[in-house]
Amino acid sequence: MQAGQIWVLVDARRDGLTRSTEKLLQAAGSLAGVKDMRLTGLLMSQDEKLIESVSKYVDHLLWARHPDLTTYEATRWLHAIKQLFQSRGRPEIVLSSAHSIGLELMPRLAAGLQGAYAGSVVSMGWKGEALLFKRPIFGGRAYEELEVVRPPVVLTVRNALVSGGKPRSAVVAEIDEAPVDIPDGLGLEIVSREQTSRGKLELLEAERVVAGGRGMGAEENFKLIEDLAACLGAGVGASRAVVDAGWRSYDEQIGKSGKTISPALYVACGISGAIHHVLGMNTSKIIVAINKDPEAPIFKNADYGLVGDVSKIVPAITEALAKCLQKE
Amino acid sequence: MTLHCVVCIKQVPDHEAVVRVESEQNLFIEDRYICSFYDEIAIEAALRIKKDHPDTRITAISAGGRRAVEALRRAVAMGIDEVFHVGDESIESAGSMAIARVLAAKIGPMKPDLVMCGKQAGDDDMGAVGPMLAELLGMVHANAVLSLELNPQNQSFELDRKTEGEIWRLRGSLPLLIGVEKGLAEPHVPVVTRVMKAMKAKIENEPVSKLGIGDHDIESGLQRVRYLQPPVRGEVRMLQAEFPENVEELVRCLQDNGVLS
Repeated sequence: MQAGQIWVLVDARRDGLTRSTEKLLQAAGSLAGVKDMRLTGLLMSQDEKLIESVSKYVDHLLWARHPDLTTYEATRWLHAIKQLFQSRGRPEIVLSSAHSIGLELMPRLAAGLQGAYAGSVVSMGWKGEALLFKRPIFGGRAYEELEVVRPPVVLTVRNALVSGGKPRSAVVAEIDEAPVDIPDGLGLEIVSREQTSRGKLELLEAERVVAGGRGMGAEENFKLIEDLAACLGAGVGASRAVVDAGWRSYDEQIGKSGKTISPALYVACGISGAIHHVLGMNTSKIIVAINKDPEAPIFKNADYGLVGDVSKIVPAITEALAKCLQKE
Repeated sequence: MTLHCVVCIKQVPDHEAVVRVESEQNLFIEDRYICSFYDEIAIEAALRIKKDHPDTRITAISAGGRRAVEALRRAVAMGIDEVFHVGDESIESAGSMAIARVLAAKIGPMKPDLVMCGKQAGDDDMGAVGPMLAELLGMVHANAVLSLELNPQNQSFELDRKTEGEIWRLRGSLPLLIGVEKGLAEPHVPVVTRVMKAMKAKIENEPVSKLGIGDHDIESGLQRVRYLQPPVRGEVRMLQAEFPENVEELVRCLQDNGVLS
């Protein structure tokens, strides 16, 4: 691949850049640095405040300008991105983090550009002139390594690691305001947006997650999980069993038919560790399992194990953590 | 006014099937296959639409090798009468774009009002075929759809789409392609008589060549270098000390690992 362009789709919420996009911009910087490629941050949001936070990571900030792009809608965003491909030259690599926007938009973009596509990428790197990347398959029971043989390639990235990359020195980004045309009535009309997890930390963004299962004994005992999560600044997760039982909402379900997450710390409380659940969390960095059954399969997938009563152990952890965090 | 709804489904290994990397070029997959989780929800959702709007035609399509027929038998058992099997083993490993092209070649001429795909398949979790198919068919699409209300009279719809911590309500005009999220419908277990009927159903295969798909169309632009073992987690360290010493030890371990801040 000749020196060319890498574009990163910027996912921004009302409160600024998401952590996953920030990590992706850093990873893309390493990738671009090795081959002297130009890194472009593709900003669709019309919020000026984001320019500063994105431009410290990129060489070039491409800002699509149209009032109808303010709120994400697949057809309109896609239409705008395709125009920018025409006017700003085709990048060899397009990256997005694996959030709801990237998952909806990126495969469609790849089809539109006649490019290659892969999702759930967990690491990327160069081998000679070829871009190689790895991704889990069969819910993490195996991994595959793929090589891009015909760019452009569009990737959604779950945990942006770059092997053999070099961090970028400070750059001053060129700000490129690009007006786009959006035909009237294109795409879907947004009727309303309802928050489902007000004040709760989004699991896919959380650095730490505390999750509970059947072994918590009762719905009200999730208070203990919430307390520990609050102390850790963690998200709250749940096993399928307790979601099916109606104790917790599907939003919190970790596992094959729920969310797949990779936090730095995962604390599994009263979760037996059925394969269904493990597939959703086994890429976490450190896993702590607490269960009364010493034979529970969750211990085979954990770094630290405690056997005992969750209703005693979980609040004790909260208390011990609160003490040690106070000291710091 | 007839509503034509097409459901795209895939047969995948059961989530408890053994999958093992035997060598860099070989993957062992236990022979335990099911119709993909989200695809079954899509089948059920189509049946619900037919219940609300009896003048609905439902078609189920699966693209791939021989195994795809089993997914279609499941669709027949659940109550779908019109099913098509397209393609063969050659497109199984060709990637999402190849599958999307094959499906588009078959579905395009049908001019359906609604296409439903599972939001992702239970094997590669790629979630790409749906959005790609929407692009190839030139349809608007929405992913992770939790509920869908159709108004066939004026060809309009409203749907709920799940995003991070929010549900978005969207409105538009048919035709539409959706990626199905858990919650859109609850798949029923088919009755034995329907299962028997499905086992006997004659399911014709249409080869890729008949759809005007050439070798070039099924190139993915990617090449698999190798399969890899999942990263192994070291042996678990059981904190054997009596309560509450074990808790204090855990907190020390977590501090040492730098995962607390």
